[in-house]
Amino acid sequence: MISARSMQNLESAFHKAIKANLLREDDDSCEIASIESGSPDQYSERQLLLITISSFVFRLIVIFRIIDNPVTRAYYMRVNTTQQLDEVFAEVANMCGGSLSRELSYQFSHLAMSTPCVLNSQCMEFLDDLRPEYVARYGVTINDSVQLQATLCMCCSRPIEVAAPTGTDEADTGAGELEFF
Amino acid sequence: MNDDSHVADASNGAKRAELLRKAENVTRGVGDIKTLAVAFERWHEDLILMTAQSRGLSLIGEDLSQIARHMIMVSINAAIEAARAGEIARGFVVVAAEVKTQAQSVQALAGSMRKTVDKGELLTAATFQDIQAGGKMMMAAISGLEAMVQQLHSELAENTDP
Repeated sequence: MISARSMQNLESAFHKAIKANLLREDDDSCEIASIESGSPDQYSERQLLLITISSFVFRLIVIFRIIDNPVTRAYYMRVNTTQQLDEVFAEVANMCGGSLSRELSYQFSHLAMSTPCVLNSQCMEFLDDLRPEYVARYGVTINDSVQLQATLCMCCSRPIEVAAPTGTDEADTGAGELEFF
Repeated sequence: MNDDSHVADASNGAKRAELLRKAENVTRGVGDIKTLAVAFERWHEDLILMTAQSRGLSLIGEDLSQIARHMIMVSINAAIEAARAGEIARGFVVVAAEVKTQAQSVQALAGSMRKTVDKGELLTAATFQDIQAGGKMMMAAISGLEAMVQQLHSELAENTDP
């Protein structure tokens, strides 16, 4: 229901959203690498963050996992805040999901995004029960130190074609619309 | 103006008035559909309860698993102590072995329960989010439709006014 080209374009749109929203500074480095299915899970964290982008013909589930360590805390919690890391990251991830949703809304009318939801990380092993057309996992490394995992899980009820993302990475940087939740 | 044109004007006026009346009905209908938002909020609240319920079950499964682990340790210690006591505690060795077997069964059951709960939690959350996003999607579509109907209504009203 989704062509290889569409999967590639979806991946590009997701990478664009990650680079535009998960980095704190413009000159931060960001490496995104595919994680092969069946690779050992290096994340010991007990929770994951789930966001769904829905249209009439598909639902795209975006999952983020971070490692709660001093490096990640220092990166995402620079400003004095009373919030927990997962709360701060939920806002960042929400912006990332919003950015991807906006990109897809240029091609699919009546698209909408859910609020983020925190789940037990063991839930990851049941993604196939959602009968996805396509699941892609990525390891994201920021400034060679901060590590997180991002997953795309596309479930379609009709064949869909996803076009290449618009503009450049720079065009979207800092323009992430704040998604309230 | 002759009688024929008077009749034609009257007929057109009646048609426009009828169209205007229908447009008003559609506007009211679209307004009614917008109360769907109330149903979405209700589903939202129900699904939050279901998610909390699922998390509660998950915690019970973890507690159960921990109790089973503890029972296994106790049964092992009991078996060691019974072995030390010798022939007199031979029956207790059998009891300790049975306790260990039962504890292992409970542990396996707790593991299975946790998997079922984890799967349920994912399916519930994914469905919840799909409904939530779907609700926003429908409300946006209805608002677009409402704007179009209002536009149509305004145009008809302008053309109907004497």
